[in-house]
Amino acid sequence: MRNWIVLALLIVAAIAWPPQWYPRAWRAEIATWLGPSAYDALPSTLPADAIDAEIACPESPAGLRAAQIIDGVTIDASPTCESDDPNAVAAFVRGTNNVSAETLAASGLTSDAVEKGRDLDGDGDPDEIHIRLEIVELNGGSPELPEPATQYAIAPGIQPGLWAFAPKYVGMATENFESLRARRQLRLPSPAIRVEQGDTIRVTLENGHYMPHTVHLHGVDHPFVDVTGEGNDGTPIASELPVMPGAARTYEVQPREAGTAFYHCHVQPHVHVMMGLQGLFIVEENRPNNWLQTLNVGAGLVRARSEAVREAYDREYDLHYMDIDSDLNDRVQRFNDPRLITASMHRDYDITDATTDFFLLNGRSFPYTFRDSLVVVAPDERVKLRVVNGGMDSVGLHTHGHRVTVTHRDGIEVDAASQELRDVVTLDSAQRLDLLLDTTDDGLHSYGPGVWLFHDHGYRAITTDGIGPGGHISAIVYEDYLSDDGWPMTQGVSFAPYFSAEYYRKTVPVWRSYAPDLFGDPGRDYSLFVRLIVLAACLSAIAALSVTSRRRQS
Amino acid sequence: MIGRLRAVVGGIAALVAVDGVAQGVEATHDMSQHHGMMMNADATALPRDCEQIAAEHAFTIYAGAEYAAGFPGNIFGYSEHELRVEPCSRVTVTFVNDDQVRHQWMVHGLPRYLYPGGMFHLEANGGESQTGSLIVPSDSRTYLVHCDLTQHMEKGMKAQLVVGRGDGDLWAVPGISGNFNRDAYSPRASLMVLTLLAVAVATGAGVGFSMRRR
Repeated sequence: MRNWIVLALLIVAAIAWPPQWYPRAWRAEIATWLGPSAYDALPSTLPADAIDAEIACPESPAGLRAAQIIDGVTIDASPTCESDDPNAVAAFVRGTNNVSAETLAASGLTSDAVEKGRDLDGDGDPDEIHIRLEIVELNGGSPELPEPATQYAIAPGIQPGLWAFAPKYVGMATENFESLRARRQLRLPSPAIRVEQGDTIRVTLENGHYMPHTVHLHGVDHPFVDVTGEGNDGTPIASELPVMPGAARTYEVQPREAGTAFYHCHVQPHVHVMMGLQGLFIVEENRPNNWLQTLNVGAGLVRARSEAVREAYDREYDLHYMDIDSDLNDRVQRFNDPRLITASMHRDYDITDATTDFFLLNGRSFPYTFRDSLVVVAPDERVKLRVVNGGMDSVGLHTHGHRVTVTHRDGIEVDAASQELRDVVTLDSAQRLDLLLDTTDDGLHSYGPGVWLFHDHGYRAITTDGIGPGGHISAIVYEDYLSDDGWPMTQGVSFAPYFSAEYYRKTVPVWRSYAPDLFGDPGRDYSLFVRLIVLAACLSAIAALSVTSRRRQS
Repeated sequence: MIGRLRAVVGGIAALVAVDGVAQGVEATHDMSQHHGMMMNADATALPRDCEQIAAEHAFTIYAGAEYAAGFPGNIFGYSEHELRVEPCSRVTVTFVNDDQVRHQWMVHGLPRYLYPGGMFHLEANGGESQTGSLIVPSDSRTYLVHCDLTQHMEKGMKAQLVVGRGDGDLWAVPGISGNFNRDAYSPRASLMVLTLLAVAVATGAGVGFSMRRR
């Protein structure tokens, strides 16, 4: 009886044995006897999962985007979906100590955020500028919440830990008490700073962060020590001790040369700069009545341009590129104790083994770049782009439909005879380029109106953690191609999947929106799985029977 | 949500305007006029459930990095992490900032018909102080007090205002309650594994030896 059972089990096991496990030659031989197997349809395409897409262009508070005059400050229109707060622009131009109380209150800034003092050279604009910067941590850890504190998404569903210099805003860091989302002013990149050549500038770092930090003015004319003999270069290993939590230090500069420069923390810079403590620092040429927008929060369009830029250009944009290794940025979320965070970030993390995952243009990745970092133009314009690469990878910036001219490198004007038209310009870490984008439709400078992408041609950088499109992608958009709400009239695919967290979580087929059946995920075929279960059951039963029989014999 | 945000901004607008007038806006070139701000710090209107002010409490709260001493792993702190007051009492707080950076003493969850956003807010620049008062409602509740600058509450600037018997401690108040997400401080894994193995072997040997003797 037992032998019959074992025989039966062996036969079942042989039938269950997966045909694909036989040697290919045997299968070919069997096929010559039996002919091809019957048609067994491949698994059909699964219906696409629902995605929870955000609205591409959420309605913005009324009146923010229009051209307007506030407290005598002429503020250009900001045609993109999201715009800077014109009240803050007015406060940064007039000084938070001079602007009207209503405008200051609407801006949310403190009255000492950007103070402007006397007109020292009598040319009609203030020359004493005092900027106070705090440090914010976005998407940081919490001793009680199940999710990050003060949240800021760089792309749908993506919230890496980030640090930024920030102006001083009254009140809460979140939208309100019920929300965990950061108020809209707290974001990356750190604000672009604009000062005038020859001004007396004080930058005070009020370090309310839980680690030591400094400010280093990269490429800005500044003395090694200030008048009191204290270090002024921001470098802990050469000029001064870092600013401890709860402490403040003022850096003093009176730049003699104009140009596009950079500022960043110089404490453990391979970690602190990469976390986001970096911004553009622009020294504008001295002109009469030159009222500058001292801070450009989130970079992007400059809504109140300097006199020199108004003379030569129709529009001006600050473009700040960054890249992020999520293995570093997540560390502020893994721990709450600053001793553990600092050990993890500065000792355990090894940047020489790092790979970049996220790529930010003005603090966000595609598709969020389309909300506020489009370069909007009109035909026959001269547009100034100030570009910085704050990341560790190089950026190869490519403009579709246009060739740009590099007018300045690292703040120094390129000799006129050497200026050339390029469709890819390269920036290594910390390099700045001033670009002239000429929209004359002559086939050389511009191919004419449209929605023309501009993006890093480094292929990693056009993804978000390997999912494309993402990262460093934005577009040059002609006004005729812009909807009333500021969204570009693209003619390609639906953006809905790109506005879902699921897409960047890698669960959505990439061509889902226009070819869901052809390239969707196929269903699963369980036949191999069933055969293996039967096989395992048969072999186990045979083994059990033989063991028990031996035991009885003994 | 935007409407609610506007209400808060409106509240800030009104109070900053008052603050500005008090400090003299005409001194446009005075670069040191800013001390901080108060919001909803009006303590004359009684909560609906209070017939009169039951008691007066006055506290001086110091804030800064030095008050984190004694709380390992904290960077910022208050001199007091718990205030106990009677229902319907008026609480006057003098908030002294001993740091060189801004701090806040913010109470949440108050009646919205008295406090826009349910919030009482003292904010002082580095080296400055602010005084304000609030009248607490009659029910026994524990209110969150914190500094909302990013990571200040997480790194120690958290307290609770207990009215009457309160309604239970909040999490992660230094000196009062524990962290819900407590970090791990265990010894090295290799040390723990070797020790556990040694304990297991010793126990097994002991049990085996004692059974054999029987």
